[in-house]
Amino acid sequence: METVTPQHFLVLSFLLFAVGFLGVVIRRNLLLVLMSLELMLNGVNVALVSFSRTSLNLDGSLFVFFIMTVAATEVAVGLALLVALYKKRQSVFSEDISLLKN
Amino acid sequence: METVAFSILLLPLLSALITLLFLRKSGNIASLLSVATSGGILVFALYLIFNGENEVFTWQTTWMKMAGWELSFGFLIDAPARLLLFVVSFVGFLIHVFSLGYMADDEAKSRYFGGLSIFMFSMIGITVADNLIMIFVFWELVGFSSYLLIAHYLTTDEAAQASKKAFIVNRVGDFGFLIGIVLTYWAFGTVNLLELADLVDFDPSLISTFLGLALACGFIGKSAQFPLHVWLPDAMAGPTPVSALIHAATMVAAGIYLLLRIDFMFTEHALSLLAILGAGMGLYAGFCALVQRDIKKILAYSTLSQLGYMAAAFGLGMPGIALFHLMTHAFFKALMFLGSGSVIHACHHEQDIFKYGGLRKKMPITAITFLIGVLAICGVNFLSGYFSKDAILLTAYNENMPVFILLYAGAILTALYMFRLYFITFEGLARSDKAAHAHENGALMTGPLLLLSILAVVGGYHSLYPFAIVESILPDIELVAAMPNHLWMIVLGTFAWIVGAITARNFYGRVGDVDPLSEKFPTFFSLCKSKLFFDQMYGFYIKKIQDPMARFLEVMELLFISGLMVRGSAGVAALLGMLGKVCYIGKIHAYTFWFVAGTIGFLAYASGIFGN
Repeated sequence: METVTPQHFLVLSFLLFAVGFLGVVIRRNLLLVLMSLELMLNGVNVALVSFSRTSLNLDGSLFVFFIMTVAATEVAVGLALLVALYKKRQSVFSEDISLLKN
Repeated sequence: METVAFSILLLPLLSALITLLFLRKSGNIASLLSVATSGGILVFALYLIFNGENEVFTWQTTWMKMAGWELSFGFLIDAPARLLLFVVSFVGFLIHVFSLGYMADDEAKSRYFGGLSIFMFSMIGITVADNLIMIFVFWELVGFSSYLLIAHYLTTDEAAQASKKAFIVNRVGDFGFLIGIVLTYWAFGTVNLLELADLVDFDPSLISTFLGLALACGFIGKSAQFPLHVWLPDAMAGPTPVSALIHAATMVAAGIYLLLRIDFMFTEHALSLLAILGAGMGLYAGFCALVQRDIKKILAYSTLSQLGYMAAAFGLGMPGIALFHLMTHAFFKALMFLGSGSVIHACHHEQDIFKYGGLRKKMPITAITFLIGVLAICGVNFLSGYFSKDAILLTAYNENMPVFILLYAGAILTALYMFRLYFITFEGLARSDKAAHAHENGALMTGPLLLLSILAVVGGYHSLYPFAIVESILPDIELVAAMPNHLWMIVLGTFAWIVGAITARNFYGRVGDVDPLSEKFPTFFSLCKSKLFFDQMYGFYIKKIQDPMARFLEVMELLFISGLMVRGSAGVAALLGMLGKVCYIGKIHAYTFWFVAGTIGFLAYASGIFGN
């Protein structure tokens, strides 16, 4: 069986990031956009953990904890905003809340 | 001493300020304040004249400082300044008093008297200033107050145009003056009059004809000499006391005073040019005065002519005589202007002399004092004009024949047009209802006339004056006294005024509504009436040369500066803005995409993919 090398992790990380990015760019539903953002962050986390493992120190893993914390707060704030927005405009679709243009 | 000098300078300014701030609606109080101010000026002036022990008083302080360059503010009260202070404060006071009567019914009294106070402030500033830049500042201020007062009757088109003309023509002369000041500073490194005199004394090669003539441009503009003489006759649109004060006795004479202050700056060539210019003006203005119908314009041309005499005296190297004539002229010309004001007031602002007639019986005091003025200006023996004018004529006779011939012809003309004015106005029968119902004015107006007429009679006896006043003119008077041909000159001078008076009597003794000259010599009349087409020439220059030039420059400006440079650069910025605007589509997805794409782009650039 072929061993798992850091390249595999990086490819996985890139794919996760790319899927997340596509989700952010394509999805109209802001709830899904937030989820896709999480996916992008976790894609980065995979890469960091793999770097940490390869270079035999804990710097990368440390960063992962920070990112997870930030991601959790971000989702909390983002969801709160979304709920408030929905209460005000009865919609979670991005085209309904573009106020500065149109 | 400097406290008094400051007081005399700031008192009229204070009066003008109070009038401007508090007395705009109360004309009577403003007029009394202004007259009281001029009385105060007279007192301070007399103090300055008699308490200086006839020494030159100087005092100066720093006005402003810019890097290494310092502008000082100072007083220089020497002999000529004392004489001019006397003339300005004394004649100014009488004219203020006369104004009380003349302007009694005017609805804009406070503006008028405030203007007079500003004028007194600036005129005294010129008199006591000790450097050229200070003189220039006050020079502009008298120009401004002259503009203000000419435009007193601002609802009439004539006054509006005349004030504009006076202001603009004066700017032309002042531009030359300014260039002269800059050149002076460049050549000498100072503009202080005393230091300049010392430097020229030390090294006479520093002065040049051009420099002198550039400085003389100020004189030519302010004293309305050729070729900038066109503004003075029009300036008669202002109230008559203003014409007496500003355009006869003091401001126009300030030009001569300026020449006197800087007389060491003139080379032989510059002086002889000034002499010829002045003498030519003396004759030219005489011809113009001969055909005017407006009483004030006749006097205005006569002022031009007398200023020409002063310039000629200065050009002949006799500044003291020029100052002497300035003083006597201030007396008799202020007298005649106030007399004309009295007539105009009595005839309800009728100014055409052919509508007067027979006023001697109705206004005896005005008529007699006016006649004294006429006799004085014609140089009738032993009146004031006789001494100063014959001193100029004698100097010219002994030193410069062409100038003498011009001046002598001017003297005959002076007698002719002044007697013409007198006969048509005061003798014969009344030719209009206004003249028929005229009557003598009150004491406020006749009082100054009587005082000035006394001075017009005895003003020529320099030994009557205190030494402090006439100190500056005595040396030149002694020079003239030592000249030959005195008796011959007395004969010539007497001949001139008698010929003028008799011709005027025969020609203008009985006139109707038209000028007899226009019937007998129509060509000559219309030539004089045209004033040699100066106004038309300037009009042509402005319409046909200056205006098209301005329009051409305007098009160039529109095309290149405003079009290409301003609008062009704005256009480039707008284009970039429009490009940027295309990206702004209002969709969060697009922004995210550009954000990430941009980040990747930066990273790619930083990692050297583009091969830097």
